[in-house]
Amino acid sequence: MSDNERTGPAADDELSLPKATVQKLISEMMPGDIVCAKDTRDLLIDCCVEFIHLIASEANEICEKETKKTIAGEHVISALQTLGFEDYVEEVDEVYKEHKKQQKDRDKRSTRLENSGISEEELLRQQELLFEKSRLKFEAQNQ
Amino acid sequence: MSEELSHSIINAGTAPGAQPVFDLAKFWQEQLSLADNFDSDFKNHPLPLARIKKVMKTDQDVKMISAEAPILFAKGCEIFISELTRRAWIHAEENKRRTLQRSDIATAISKTDMCDFLIDIVPREEVCEFIS
Repeated sequence: MSDNERTGPAADDELSLPKATVQKLISEMMPGDIVCAKDTRDLLIDCCVEFIHLIASEANEICEKETKKTIAGEHVISALQTLGFEDYVEEVDEVYKEHKKQQKDRDKRSTRLENSGISEEELLRQQELLFEKSRLKFEAQNQ
Repeated sequence: MSEELSHSIINAGTAPGAQPVFDLAKFWQEQLSLADNFDSDFKNHPLPLARIKKVMKTDQDVKMISAEAPILFAKGCEIFISELTRRAWIHAEENKRRTLQRSDIATAISKTDMCDFLIDIVPREEVCEFIS
């Protein structure tokens, strides 16, 4: 995760969410002929930021009650439930499960390569094939 | 993507006399079908995790945040924005307007129980506008 400090908001109270991204989210929910005024969008962003504060604060409390030091996915989900956002839990939990699965695959893949038993020469050869494929693709694009 | 590629290589046909042949046609076939089935994140427009994390940390009590927490927040925020937008739209429709106004958001908030926490965010006059 790279933070570009120079272009992002500097002070804590200027912190908000990117307007373009939120605008797209809004447009997706609406039929084509509905428009969202800019100040309406900004209000939505403020609401969303407040939403984050609310859930984060609750998640933090839940985390502390379990005498844990790090806010985990479970704490976020519990917070949503406690604060009346039970409807969100199913979708959010899906994202959580997908994330955990990807993490597992990532871990498996790195150990898989080490344990693959493929010799270094063979790995080098496979790498060469990959480079060749890239070259072909590049040349094809340039035609 | 590299997993699919190595899969292609490992399954490449073997010509008699040892060297496996890299099946380019098969590889592109697989890539095309992957592209067709790809549920892209382009339409999900993920909110930036770093920014979300910063917002979380404006609360002094919040110390350490797991890697997955901002991801879950991003999804939660998406749903939140979508829901509030939808509810606001209902009011715009009622007033036969095609533009979402702040008062629509204000009304939607006042009608949604779990949005009580937003009552200070929305300027009072926006809500009163609706009542009068």
